Amino acid sequence: MTAAPLFTLCVTSGKFGPRVGSLNLDREDGTPVIRTPTPALLTATSRGVVPHFSRDSVQITGAIQHIQLPFESFLDRNPPVLTLVGGARPLHQFLGYETDKHVLTLTLRDPSDGRKMPPNGNDFMSAHCTRGVRKVNLPTWKTYVQKCKPDLVVALSDTPFTPPPHSQKRMTKSIERSISWLADFLRVLDDPSASCPRNVLVHLAGGAEPHARGEFADRLTEPIEQKDAVGLSPFNTLDDGVAGYVFDLLPLHTTLAAEACRPIEPSSPVDELLKVSDSQRSSPDSSIRLAELLQASLDPLPVHKPRFVNSPVSPHEILRLVREVGIDLVDGFWAQRAADIGVALDFRFPVPAESSITSADCPAPRTRKDGKMDLGHNLFDSMYRHDHSRLASSFSDGHSAGQSHSNDLPVCPCGACSPRSPASRLLHSSVDIQSWQDSQRPLPPSALQPPFVRSYVHHLLHTHEMCSHTLLAMHNLTVLSAFLEGIRKVLGREFPKDELEKEIVRFEQKYDEDMVLWDEAATMWLDVEHARGKGRLARERGKQTASTMGTAA
Amino acid sequence: MQFEVLAKCHTTRARVSRMRLAHGVTMLPTFMPVATQAAIKGLTPQQVEALGINLILNNTYHLNLRPGIQVLKEAGGAHKFQGWNHNLLTDSGGFQLVSLSKFTKITEEGALFASPFDGSPTMLTPEESISIQHAIGADIIMQLDDVVSSLTVGPRVEEAMWRTVRWLDRCIEFHQKSGEDDVQNLFAIVQGGLEADLRDKCLDEMIARKDRVAGYAIGGLSGGEEKDVFWRVIKQCADKLPEDRPRYSMGIGFAEDLLVCVALGVDMADCVFPTRTARFGVALTFKGPLNLRLSKHSADMRPIEEGCPCPTCSSGITRALLNHTATLETAAAHAITQHNLVFQARVMGGARDAIMNGTFPQYLKDFFANYFGDAGYPEWCVNALRSVGVDLLEGKPDTRVVSGDGAKWEYSDAA
Ligand SMILES: [Zn+2]
Ligand SMILES: [Zn+2]
Repeated sequence: MTAAPLFTLCVTSGKFGPRVGSLNLDREDGTPVIRTPTPALLTATSRGVVPHFSRDSVQITGAIQHIQLPFESFLDRNPPVLTLVGGARPLHQFLGYETDKHVLTLTLRDPSDGRKMPPNGNDFMSAHCTRGVRKVNLPTWKTYVQKCKPDLVVALSDTPFTPPPHSQKRMTKSIERSISWLADFLRVLDDPSASCPRNVLVHLAGGAEPHARGEFADRLTEPIEQKDAVGLSPFNTLDDGVAGYVFDLLPLHTTLAAEACRPIEPSSPVDELLKVSDSQRSSPDSSIRLAELLQASLDPLPVHKPRFVNSPVSPHEILRLVREVGIDLVDGFWAQRAADIGVALDFRFPVPAESSITSADCPAPRTRKDGKMDLGHNLFDSMYRHDHSRLASSFSDGHSAGQSHSNDLPVCPCGACSPRSPASRLLHSSVDIQSWQDSQRPLPPSALQPPFVRSYVHHLLHTHEMCSHTLLAMHNLTVLSAFLEGIRKVLGREFPKDELEKEIVRFEQKYDEDMVLWDEAATMWLDVEHARGKGRLARERGKQTASTMGTAA
Repeated sequence: MQFEVLAKCHTTRARVSRMRLAHGVTMLPTFMPVATQAAIKGLTPQQVEALGINLILNNTYHLNLRPGIQVLKEAGGAHKFQGWNHNLLTDSGGFQLVSLSKFTKITEEGALFASPFDGSPTMLTPEESISIQHAIGADIIMQLDDVVSSLTVGPRVEEAMWRTVRWLDRCIEFHQKSGEDDVQNLFAIVQGGLEADLRDKCLDEMIARKDRVAGYAIGGLSGGEEKDVFWRVIKQCADKLPEDRPRYSMGIGFAEDLLVCVALGVDMADCVFPTRTARFGVALTFKGPLNLRLSKHSADMRPIEEGCPCPTCSSGITRALLNHTATLETAAAHAITQHNLVFQARVMGGARDAIMNGTFPQYLKDFFANYFGDAGYPEWCVNALRSVGVDLLEGKPDTRVVSGDGAKWEYSDAA
């Protein structure tokens, strides 16, 4: 029996252009193939976990299926603990993901981390962990991957994280290194018992230079030279060993911003809590530039391999890359980061009819001077103090949708909009059953509960309660996932390209791309972090010290 | 409130009871997690319910500041605001006023303090406290008491005790007139510092008002007094308080404190300790606390505690993963909080079972042997439990006994 192909296309428009497909993970171990319709969401993680989520929260969030795991945080111990787990699915087991649902993509570096880094060497890549920068050489990475057995893995590549511009020489070196690292990664080890990594993804290198990107892609498709061929059979080209392509947009945005003379200083955002990506914005122009760069890479390459895009900065940008290039997996970092800074997303694709989202009981996001609507709500804003409506006006909540059929809004199934009572409760003594099986007050398990409302999340944000971010992250990932589903639906129409074009224009006319809301939210978030967060933590540290006085174990 | 004692320990003063409030039945004795700002740190109410918890505490002082009573009224009360369908208790706000506000001045009228918003003088009277607690809508509400530190000595202690009695009368009167007294249950707070005669007088006064209070709290403790004094005050109060009212010991959260209080006849306790310590990476176990930040846990593939039914341990989260994430990812705080709350619930659930089965003295012995083992038993626990007929050292001549607080902590980063 041959393995299901990793990726199949159902709707295409040639080399570049919108496409719908299916990512099929066949582990060839007798377990069912995990199929995901694309374009699909790739959830970002930090230190191996989805930020703000306990395991039960991950389980109830249907949007989380594909998960990106940067390895670098585990470099703070040697050997890294992930390599000590063993078993058939060490990453799933250790990090608590479900083998029949979650597909894990391992990468050395966190693609959302744009901090300035010391340069890579000819045979090592620099990575970050809490103890500082670590050099990871190729054999080591290969060993880590063999021990971790990820579903998909990204080969090392040499992306400069020094401030742009980058010289011709630097770009040439980057391409040479990336090619040779890939070849090395694909090469069968001397030890035949060691399994080769399957589903190897490669960063398409070349920076913001179309010709450099084209050169890298050409090198992938050239026949492998005799002298390099050892251990690479049966591949004729390096691309034969590659299952899919990765685009990291963050360094490209940084370079494009530098070219446009609005450099984003990669080493030191104005506040230590901010990330480089927080100030990155998209525009029709920047999207066109990105599309050109992605196209330059993909031009010589086959169309049937999945394309992963990391760190897009807006839904507008995702839409344009879907239209101009054709992309298949998109990471959720942008939406997850919005949850960090107090933004609840509230938008849909295709844009809903005006009548369905204008409702007195659930206000839509603010409309800016240019007539465009915010992509969500900055729940730090005092205007939400008395707003007792569900998070998103463009989605209904499970509880009220179950009670009335008057509105035709889709339901947001997230744990914030459609929470359910627990399926079961722990019993701690034989008499506890009297609490939970109370004839005077029946408590059905898994029953829909009213949604968490804006005023509550506003309160939690201002009181620095962590579950504000949990609720927002559950919601934002779900809204982004629904957005991608909306793209798939439009592409399922009779004239997909025209329909998509029409809907993108409507989306661009409706929703604000400048994302002023993000700047406002980040400012208020920083105020609370600095005033409450640090003060509170310092107080608590004092208390903890006092309460831990005693006999050490 | 319906309160029924189901079983009593044949040796100690411990008992199991069923307390029915407007939001369901809570079995006692129980530990109440603290949701200061209308949220158990990091958890949704559904997650808290899944842990088998059905009585939590909100702080009146904090909720009155934010979101404010107006918002809570609009939302239909604190239950609805935070999505909590089960029982809820609020304190009076007095304790926080004294501990968090520097300029609080107590007068007969009430507590005068500087508004945290604009510094303007603001008065919290007993009537105002009850009125705020009515807006919050908790199932159990507390009288405003005149709080003095448990280390205070001299006439101020007696003054505060008598004022607390007078304020109780004002709270009762206001509460009964409001018409809320059939759904919200007012508890009195026994004060009197560490002085037995003052406690006795306070108990007499408050027990005389028994028909108009639903339960009793023992206040003015856990403020740094010696543990050997602490348990004697608890015992004095619990011994004297009426059988048919729940007894609530405020600010108690260490497992050994909980079990001693239960043995002395306490039914309810609350503390921020298990949730706060979780955020610093400390997990509570029946073999004592574990500081998961210590590097010795970095490759330990065991759960926090084998056999623990909490979502963290039962889903296979290892000490190694928690070591990797503790204090750096909120997800670690959530996972350890879930475990710690289940630990507290298991300690109390185990006590309920043992009392029902007539094996509570043995339960105490087993718990202390496991928890303190070689580290030594706190002397005050040995003394306290002897006073109710349980000798922890019986048949254990080699057990070490430690004077002082005897808290067992794995806190050093060097270990
Ligand atoms: Zn939602
Ligand atoms: Zn546990």
